[in-house]
Formats: sequence, C-alpha cells, structure tokens
Amino acid sequence: MKKHTMHCPEILDHICEELDTKISSAKCREIKRHLAQCPNCTAYLDSLKKTIKLYKTYPDKKVPQKTRKQLFAVLKLRG
Amino acid sequence: MTSHLTDQEIIKRAQKGDERAFTEIVKRYETLVYSFAFKVCRDSDKASETWQDTFVNVYRKLHQFDGRSKFTTWLYSVVVNSCRMKRRQRKLDQASISIDGPELSHDDAGSDQEGHTAQTVPSWKETPLDNVMDKELRTLLDSAIQKLPYDYRVVFVLRDIEGLSAEETGKILKLSVPAVKSRLRRARVFLRERLNSYMAI
Repeated sequence: MKKHTMHCPEILDHICEELDTKISSAKCREIKRHLAQCPNCTAYLDSLKKTIKLYKTYPDKKVPQKTRKQLFAVLKLRG
Repeated sequence: MTSHLTDQEIIKRAQKGDERAFTEIVKRYETLVYSFAFKVCRDSDKASETWQDTFVNVYRKLHQFDGRSKFTTWLYSVVVNSCRMKRRQRKLDQASISIDGPELSHDDAGSDQEGHTAQTVPSWKETPLDNVMDKELRTLLDSAIQKLPYDYRVVFVLRDIEGLSAEETGKILKLSVPAVKSRLRRARVFLRERLNSYMAI
C-alpha cells in the first residue's frame, strides 16, 4: 500500500494545531520532516508564531480607580 | 486579615458571606479579569462595564462554584457570559460574522526540476520588542483583532494569550475541543494575514 504523504495545505492545517504541543506522534514527526524541506511551510509557521508573540506583548491593563470604586459602592463593600 | 489564606479558603469564606473574603477575591483577580476583558473588548469603557458585571455576578453566583474546576476557569466563564450579555444588549451578536470558509493555504509553488520547493511565502522580520513597537504596528494589531469576529477572538485570547488548554477553553465557551481547535486555527490565520503586508521582509 502506498504511504500517504502530507502536502502543504494539510501540513498547514496541522501545524496550526500543534504550534504549542510537543512533537512526538507519527503525524507530528512527518510534519517535522516536511518542515525541514519546505521553506513555505516553515515561513508560514514562523509568521504564525510571531503573530501570537506580537499579541502577547500587550501589557496587562490596570483597573481604573473609578470602576473599582463603583463596584464596591454597588456591592456595599469596603475597599 | 485574609491575604495569607489560600484561594480555596478565601472562596469558602466568601461563599459563607464573609465580605472581607470577597474583597480579597476581587483584589486577587481584578487585574486578570480586567486584562482579559480588555483583550476581548478592545475598549476601556466596555472592559470596565464587563469587569463590574463580572464581579457582581461572581458575588451573586459564587455559591454555584463547586470546586470541581479551577477557580480561574469558572471566573473566565463568568467574564465570557457577562460579555455576552452586554453584547446582546447592544445587539452585537446578530452582527457577528463568520470567517468560516476554505481551509488555509499558501501559494504552493510546487517543486523545481530538482525537487526543491521554491519559497513563495515571505519570511517575516523579527518581532519588535514591546518598547520599540511602533505606532503603525500597534494600530495594525488593534485593527486586526477588532475585525476578528467575537467568537474567534475570545478563543484566540483564551488559548494563545491567556494560555488555557483547548479543554478548558471548550468548557468555558461550551464548545467541543475540535470546535475550539478549528476556531483557533482560523483566528490565527486571520490575524496573520492582516499583519503579513507589514511584517513580510
């Protein structure tokens, strides 16, 4: 039986899912092999990772004092 | 003093009506809730409204928390529901569009005569650090995430920004794990496409 070989669209579908998981399954090993020789998929995966990294650089926002005071007033709590 | 108590102890006390314990819960989780609400709403006023609604709902519904899931998982689901209620009031849910469509692809240039694949997907420059991220890129990031439909945005924020698992995200949003994965894939690709022109070398 001919072994099924994954092509770019299929690889892309999977690498999106596997971005942050440890590569260990047979499918993942095949993805790794494909990535090693496909500059397109490698560039695509890199750009996806960078997209996430950019969104992560947003600093945490602080709760406005006014908002905090309103909540404690509504719930009749002492801040 | 309640600040030395564990989350579990604080929650138990608050469930019994201890107001100091509830205040301690607010102190411990206010930044997490506000930050998450802001990332989903992308607007200070909406984030503030969602933040207030969330803690009012936590106050009213804390007795329903049974400790079987992590407290933060339960808290995220309260934020998501508060946000959903606000959106319904503003009738935004009906306006929510879908980005379902053909699966992602890049231009597959195929191989040359020697079997080498030619690169048609441009490489991206190194991501700038926060303190040097320029205004243009920040505007682009804001615009891209705002254009991402809410149902996808919330999955993206929970999974990729807050770092929750697909299972936890599914529990919070009442979605199956495959549905979470599918929305995440599409959200990532949607955002990536919108940054491509700026980031491509």
